Amino acid sequence: MENTTNIPGIKKRSHPLKIVMVILILIGLALFPFISENRFYISLINEMMIYGLLAMSLDVLLGYTGSLSFMHNAYMGISAYIVGLFLIHLSPTSLWLACFAGIIFTSVVALPVGWVQVRTGGLAFALLTMAFGMMFHTIVWKWYDVTGGDDGLMGMPNPDIILFGWNLGNSGNPIVIYIFTLIIVAICFFLTRRIINSPFGAVLEAIRENEDRASFVGINVRRYKLLGWMLACMLASVAGALFILYKGYIGPTTMSAFAGAGVLMMVLLGGMGSLWGAFVGAAIFIYIQDYISTMTEHWEIYLGLVVIFLVLFLPTGFVGLGEHLKRFRKA
Amino acid sequence: MEELLCTENLCRSFGGVMATNRVCFSLNKNGLTSIIGPNGAGKTTFINVVTGKIGASSGKILYKGKDITNKPTHELVKMGICRTFQINSIFENLSVFENLRIARQAKSGGSLRIFSSKQSLKSVTEKTWALVERLGLKDMAARPAKNLAYGDQRVLEVAIAMAGDPKILFLDEPTAGMSPGETRHISELIKDLAKDICVVLVEHDMDMVMSISDQITVLQDGCTIAEGTPDEIRNNQQVREAYLGKEE
Repeated sequence: MENTTNIPGIKKRSHPLKIVMVILILIGLALFPFISENRFYISLINEMMIYGLLAMSLDVLLGYTGSLSFMHNAYMGISAYIVGLFLIHLSPTSLWLACFAGIIFTSVVALPVGWVQVRTGGLAFALLTMAFGMMFHTIVWKWYDVTGGDDGLMGMPNPDIILFGWNLGNSGNPIVIYIFTLIIVAICFFLTRRIINSPFGAVLEAIRENEDRASFVGINVRRYKLLGWMLACMLASVAGALFILYKGYIGPTTMSAFAGAGVLMMVLLGGMGSLWGAFVGAAIFIYIQDYISTMTEHWEIYLGLVVIFLVLFLPTGFVGLGEHLKRFRKA
Repeated sequence: MEELLCTENLCRSFGGVMATNRVCFSLNKNGLTSIIGPNGAGKTTFINVVTGKIGASSGKILYKGKDITNKPTHELVKMGICRTFQINSIFENLSVFENLRIARQAKSGGSLRIFSSKQSLKSVTEKTWALVERLGLKDMAARPAKNLAYGDQRVLEVAIAMAGDPKILFLDEPTAGMSPGETRHISELIKDLAKDICVVLVEHDMDMVMSISDQITVLQDGCTIAEGTPDEIRNNQQVREAYLGKEE
């Protein structure tokens, strides 16, 4: 067997060029805040990474399990509020405990929601995600005493970030939080990639391809859809913890349906079913949003136009661009 | 001898229509049983009820003496009751190999491993390869299933069900839309399968049914009207009437 990479069932080695690319991107991102003194771009990239993680978590659901969630940002929001409330009211320095609480609490909320949702399929599933998302949004928005309502959660302390026994510095420092975000997002990315390539990931893909057939080969579709949902919500909750540490604040608009549509657009822009596409999508979305909003306050209109253009001419998203170019060169 | 599978007065109605009406059907060990009948006789409905795709309205299904009526599909598959569909139902964007590998994995377990690679399930990979080679799908193993010719997809449809190591395999019109050559290929495959397991075939191609079946059950309007060997069925007056109409 001279060419083993094309034979299914035998472990594929990633192309060396790909590995070098990934390492270069990570090094580039890690060095960026020390090279560029521009605080604005450091913060912008930080936001791209966090939303990239959120979009990736939605991609696990949409691109791999085949279920659509309109308001995945709700689970990022819930986690962010819990982490914030924990740091404000319980212990201003226990960062890890707060993050842990955020992830656990989000999972506890997501479990019964998922349990109900997986009993439906297709459009009903998507509508339920919206219904639950709007409920959570309203609770956060109206429960003034706890969440600060419209004003958002204020008075976040800035705990020190200690990673593997190494004190990175204070989370109030943009460079510290940038590096922290990069490390956590990279870990989540590689972990998720690993999970997607596992036997468990294969089951999710089978469900995406053909739910009926999946159950007729002996897969308990509801159970695995629920597990896929839980994985997606837990990843979103990690994004939530990073979000509140980065912003030092969270308001109900982060959990709105409008913001939820934004996350969905990120996934579609980047292309479904590749994980890294979600990061590209998030980066494009946030950059366009930021760029256009410096010129006009009606940035949503122009962003909408860009998205319409991309959906029409690049339906497979950025991930599909390579294929398009290949075909173009052959023609 | 204890029956492998039997139904007792199995009924399924849609609105007022009895699509399956008090069917008593039984299967012993190995061999090929065909279910035939005119269009709308309730053959597919019967299979759908037995394999858990739709619920039974009344009656019982027993598998090795255990009541399995209205059990969820995936549990029935784990017990060894598999099926194929009249219209291809495959994992289109997955490779042919992965189509079979996932079916094998679902049967033998390990689906909850989240941090190991797919390839770490060694026996799953080996058994999948054995199946790929047995069915002559080796050349197309790496291709996405949707790029296969229709006839090959039809073979894959049967192969996916086989990957689950069934004790009873229901085939719903496996040769639908196939050329005579492909039909021969499939019927050889089915004959071969019936040596080791119980195969239930729903089919319109009478030549094929008569030549390869051990037993035939004839359904009409949801009821069983005849049961027997191909020769008995060929000479059965009621069956002739069902197909050809009453002689004046």
